[in-house]
Amino acid sequence: MPTRRSHVPLSLVVGGNRRAASDGDLARGLTAGEAWAIAETWHRFAPMVLAMAERALGSKSEADDLGQEVLYCVFRKIGTLREPDSLRSFVYSVAVRALKSELRRKRLSGWLSFHPPDALVDLGSRTMDVESRDLLRKCHTLLDRLAPRDRLVFILRRMESMTVEEIAAAMDLSLSTVKRSMIHASSRLSRWIDADPGLAGLLEEGRCRR
Amino acid sequence: MKTTSGKPEDTRALAAFTELTRDGIERRTTEELDQGLNVLLARVAAGRSSPRRGIVRWSLMGGVVAVCALVGLQVSTGSHKHSQVLEPSVLAYQIEGGSVIEGGYLRESGHAGIKLLFNEGSQFVFLPGTRGRLRSVAPKGARVAIEHGKASFQVTPSTDRRWLVEAGPFLITVKGTVFTVAWDPSSERFELSLRHGRVEVSGPVSGGDIVLRAGQQLVVNLAKAETLIMEEKPEETVVESVGAATSRAIIPSALRAPLMRDKPALPSPSGAPVPATVAKLEGEHRWTDELASGHWDHILEEVERTGIKAALDKASSEDLFALADAARYRRRMDLAREALLAERRRFPGSPRALDALFLLGRVAESGERGATRAIAWYDDYLSRAPAGAYAAEALGRKMTLTSESGGSEEARPLAEEYLRRFPKGSYAGSARALQRAP
Repeated sequence: MPTRRSHVPLSLVVGGNRRAASDGDLARGLTAGEAWAIAETWHRFAPMVLAMAERALGSKSEADDLGQEVLYCVFRKIGTLREPDSLRSFVYSVAVRALKSELRRKRLSGWLSFHPPDALVDLGSRTMDVESRDLLRKCHTLLDRLAPRDRLVFILRRMESMTVEEIAAAMDLSLSTVKRSMIHASSRLSRWIDADPGLAGLLEEGRCRR
Repeated sequence: MKTTSGKPEDTRALAAFTELTRDGIERRTTEELDQGLNVLLARVAAGRSSPRRGIVRWSLMGGVVAVCALVGLQVSTGSHKHSQVLEPSVLAYQIEGGSVIEGGYLRESGHAGIKLLFNEGSQFVFLPGTRGRLRSVAPKGARVAIEHGKASFQVTPSTDRRWLVEAGPFLITVKGTVFTVAWDPSSERFELSLRHGRVEVSGPVSGGDIVLRAGQQLVVNLAKAETLIMEEKPEETVVESVGAATSRAIIPSALRAPLMRDKPALPSPSGAPVPATVAKLEGEHRWTDELASGHWDHILEEVERTGIKAALDKASSEDLFALADAARYRRRMDLAREALLAERRRFPGSPRALDALFLLGRVAESGERGATRAIAWYDDYLSRAPAGAYAAEALGRKMTLTSESGGSEEARPLAEEYLRRFPKGSYAGSARALQRAP
C-alpha cells in the first residue's frame, strides 16, 4: 500500500500547554507561520477585539467582520513587531486603528447617504428584554453622533478601562488630546441624555433587565 | 469596574449609559469563536495559496485591485490607513453539483442542483433545473444571474462586500441576508421571498427601487403589469422545487394578505413599468422620528391635542407603532393597547400588525391578572409568526408566565421547546433551570 506523504511543513513545536505560551512565544510562532500560533492568537485576543468592536460599532456582525480584519492584519504585519513580548499592545493598536477607520467610514457614508444609517441593526441574541434592547439602541444612536475620535476615546476609557496613556499610545495622540477628547465626549453625551427626558429617566431608573 | 464618580460630567444617567453600553454585549460562545477561527484560517490559507493546496478545488479570484478602488473620498477623509489595514479579504468559492464553463455559465452535473460555497460563509443554491451564470467574483463581492428557475441565497453580512443577483430584468442588491429568488422568462414572473435581512430590488417598476424587509415576499408579473408585496409565513419560504414555487405564488392566502396591489398604468406591454413603491405604504413617519429623538411626550401631547380617536384612525402604520412605543415607555398602557389594536384593525396585513400581537402581550402582562391574556397574545403571535422577530421572546415570556402561574411541571414542555428552537436565546438559562427543577 503506498504511503501518502504529508504536505504539512515542518515547524518548531512549543512544549507543554500552548495556552500557557507567553505572548512573546506566540509572536515568534506567528512570525514563523506556525498554525498553532494562529489558533492560539485567535483564542487569546479575538474575544477582546470582538467585544471592543461590538461596543464601538454597536453591531455584532460588523464586529465579526472587523475582528477578522484585525487578526488577519496582525498575522500579515507580525514581521513589523520589534518586541515580541508586546504582542498584546500590537493587537490593541491594530484594532484601534481599524476601529477608527471604520467609524470614520461609517460617518462619511452616513453623510453621503440619502438614507439615515441604521442604528444597531444587529443586536444578536442578547439576554435582554425588548425594552432594554430599545434602550441600548438609543444609546448607540447617541454614540453615533459623536466624532469618531471622541467616540473611540470614550469607549476605550470608559468601557475598555484603558488608561489615558494606553489610549494615547494606541491612537497615536498626545495625552492632552486624549483628555480633551474624553471631556468633550462625556459632556456632549451628558447633554444629549439630559435633553432626552425619556432616555435619562429610563437610564436612571435602571430599567434594563439582565 | 471603573468608578465614574467624582467628575463633573459623570451624571448618574451617563454612568448608567456607560454601564448599559459596556455590558450590553454577550461573550462569544466557543462555537462562535471556532467558526471565526475557521474563516480566518481559510483566509490565511487562501492568502498563501500554493499548488499543494490545489487539492481543495478553491478558485481564487482577485484581491489586488481593491486597493485601487479605495480612492477619492475615502482618501480625503483620512481613510488611507483603512485601505492599508482593512483591505477586503480574498473571496474564493467552491462548486458542488456542477461547474462553471465559458461565459460563467453554471452547468449542472447531476440532478441535484448546484451549490456555490464562498469562503466567507455565503452560500448560493441553484435548485435542480435552474439555469444561471456566475458573472463575476471580486474581493468586493460576487454577481450572479438567474436566467430561468429558482435559487436561494444565504449571504454573510459584511460592510465591505456587495452582492448582486440578476433575475431577468431585475437586479437585487444584497448586504447580508437569506432569501429565495425565482424568475420565469416565459411568464415574465419574478418572485423574491426574504427570510432575514434586507434587500433592494431594482427593475422595471416605477417609483424607484423597492426595499424589502424580512418576512416579505415580492411578486412582479410583468405581463399583467402587477406588483404584489405580501407578508409570508417564514416556513413557506423554504421551497423544494421550482414547480411548487410557481403554484404557491398563485394561491391567495389570508396569512399572506397583500400589502399593496397597484393596477397597471399600461395594459400590458411586456417590460412596461409597473407602478409600485413600498414608500407609499408607509405614509408619514412623524412620530417615528419623534420616537427616535426621545420625544415621547411630544407624541403623547399631540395625541391628546388632536384626540385619541382621531389619532388612532388617521395615523400611519409606523406612526401607530411609534405611538404604542411612546405610550409603553411612559407607562400609558391603555393608550399603548389602543394603538396596537388600531394597528391590527387598520393594517391587518402589515408586518407591524404581527409585531403588535407580541407587544399586546407585553402590555397585558403589566395589568392585573394579565398573565392569561398575555399568554393568549403570545400564542397568537407564535402561531402566525413562528420564526418572527419576537418569536424567541414570546415563547420565553410564555414559559415564564406559565411557570409563575402553573409551576415548573407545567412549564417544562415549553422550556424544552424553547431550548430546541432557541438554544442560545435570552431565556435559555431559565429554560435549563426549569428542566432541572424537581
